[in-house]
Amino acid sequence: MPAPGDVVLERMVGFGRVLRAAGLEVGPGRLQDALRGLDVVGLARRDDVYHTLRATLVARREEMDAFDAAFAAYWEEAPGMPQPDVGIEVPRLEPSAPPPVPAHEPDGGGDESGEESTTVLAASPDERLRQRDFADMTVAELRRLRRLMERLPDTTPKRRSRRLRAGTSGDVLDARQTLRRAIRTQGLPFDPAFRRRKQVPRKLVFLCDVSGSMEPYARAIVMFLQAVTVTGRRVEAFAFGTRITRLTPHLKKLDPARALAGAGGLMPDWGGGTRIGDSLRRYNDVWGRRGLTRGAVVVIVSDGWERGDLTLLDAELARISRQAHRLVWVNPLKGHDGFAPLAGGMRIALRHADVFVEGHNLVALEALADVLSERSLVRAAGQGRPKMGSAPDRA
Amino acid sequence: MAEPDSIDTLRAQLAEHAYLADRGLATVLTLALALEKPVLLEGEAGVGKTEAAKALALVTGGRLIRLQCYEGIDVAHALYDWNHARQLLYIRTLEAAEALEPTRTLHDLFGREFLEARPLLQAIEHDDAIPPVLLIDEIDRADDEFEAFLLELLSDFQVTIPEIGTVRAKHRPRVVLTSNRTRDLHDALKRRCLYHWIGHPDTDREVAIVRARVPGVPERLAVEAATFVASLRDLDLAKVPGVAETIDWIQALVALGQAELDAAVVDATLGTVLKHHEDIELVRDGRLPKLIAHAREA
Repeated sequence: MPAPGDVVLERMVGFGRVLRAAGLEVGPGRLQDALRGLDVVGLARRDDVYHTLRATLVARREEMDAFDAAFAAYWEEAPGMPQPDVGIEVPRLEPSAPPPVPAHEPDGGGDESGEESTTVLAASPDERLRQRDFADMTVAELRRLRRLMERLPDTTPKRRSRRLRAGTSGDVLDARQTLRRAIRTQGLPFDPAFRRRKQVPRKLVFLCDVSGSMEPYARAIVMFLQAVTVTGRRVEAFAFGTRITRLTPHLKKLDPARALAGAGGLMPDWGGGTRIGDSLRRYNDVWGRRGLTRGAVVVIVSDGWERGDLTLLDAELARISRQAHRLVWVNPLKGHDGFAPLAGGMRIALRHADVFVEGHNLVALEALADVLSERSLVRAAGQGRPKMGSAPDRA
Repeated sequence: MAEPDSIDTLRAQLAEHAYLADRGLATVLTLALALEKPVLLEGEAGVGKTEAAKALALVTGGRLIRLQCYEGIDVAHALYDWNHARQLLYIRTLEAAEALEPTRTLHDLFGREFLEARPLLQAIEHDDAIPPVLLIDEIDRADDEFEAFLLELLSDFQVTIPEIGTVRAKHRPRVVLTSNRTRDLHDALKRRCLYHWIGHPDTDREVAIVRARVPGVPERLAVEAATFVASLRDLDLAKVPGVAETIDWIQALVALGQAELDAAVVDATLGTVLKHHEDIELVRDGRLPKLIAHAREA
């Protein structure tokens, strides 16, 4: 029998491995903290050990479920000596886990209709692709679309920050600088320095409908979001169908295929029904309440086909619109001929949305980028807060 | 080092100062003291994150130094600033005495006596026998740049003031950070900290908390009100009331001379528990008698 300390150490290293497999970031430093912690509280009580390991190895609320499962599996069921890789089923922590991409799939190939359509499209200019409805695109076309999206115009809405920066004129006297200058002039502040409020990016929140009717568009929107994220902009994105899932961690992956796979794997209801009101309520309760909506530009991408309760949708949209700087509704189906916003959900959406735009092709998304950056507002200056229809018309 | 009862001891000490921690929180605070690591407390509003830091200060006997974060907070607000009025006055005095020598004056002007220590510097250069408790409240409201600065500060507890030099903490302050999770904090900052999520307490503990916090509250009233609030938390509310709201409410009820809940008074004081018009409407809309009846059975 080895010394008790060695057993603990060995078991802890194994536990660290299990946690890493579950998607937690557990480095040697954290393990060391955990061991020091165990030294303090001792091993006599299960709950003390649990809380000690949780406090030292978990860094965020989302990791707790994965941690709990791993803790139960590893310390309570795994018998005897460390067997970290044997037979412990731990649910992967979805948001930060790498997406399940088939290892053999090479870049740019391997999809069903890939080759055929590439040949056909080789002759067609990017311009045609820009105007092509996302719903009609093949996987290969979507991939080309991604490259076009890298050239999207700046989508950054701005607001005045409380943070100040130096300037020759401005809102607030910079006493420190003024004083330094005053020394040269016998203590008389002849040459005052100022600081002015900085312009900082506004929060941008995307809520994307990924239910059946929206599926072809959802993929393109995810790409759009990625293109925005890659430029360094902070975007919070959520996907919803019957329930809502945070999409943000997946957007950071540089490879669009991986992000798409990750996003798809994340949402069991990709292609299922829509409960917009329910999903928005969940968003409001969890993220909105913490202040994500406040002052943000909130973009909802949905066709408004609500299978749930319309009164709920009404109330939740009202909550968002009260807190958001602007609520933009993107409806890809709006671009289709003969579309009238008749879906029950859409009628309610019209009541709350500040701007209502289409989103069925790249031209429409470029227009959306314009709306988000509020360039269109500059053009429409003098008309106050834009309501429906202020979005640029379809090319 | 291992003291099997250190968690219980701390828990009892916190309770003496009317802070009733569950064992999980007590464990984390024990670890924070033993390992000298900062604690990051997260949880819904009103569950007692800030109070935990205050109670910790009372228990350790250290001074509480509080830094309330907000958007745009910068070094001048958090760390130090120069007392410009005094500096200006000093220049004018020298001038009047015809003793102004630009180089020397500049040197004097940026000496320690013209420096005003803000909370972070106070916590670092403290001279107390017992290390202070530094509460960095609502860190999620500050912006990224400030978080990065804080990260540096928390790793070595020293700051460099260009005009003066490096100030190093003789005894590291105990650090408690709180966050409402309005945004994700940087992983690097989290890795420096022990992490604990504070949830809503169960009814028994809430009754105990209320009785500790509102001396002289009739026991019956505490039980009924805590049960009432607990069932409110099961409703679909825009803002779920925390312990802070329960305490506010009970203080209001005590002030009104209530010994138990009754419909008229609950209706009149609902605004101390629920802070959204929709939530109040939802509860008033036919649910109130049932909720009160349920609370009175408790």
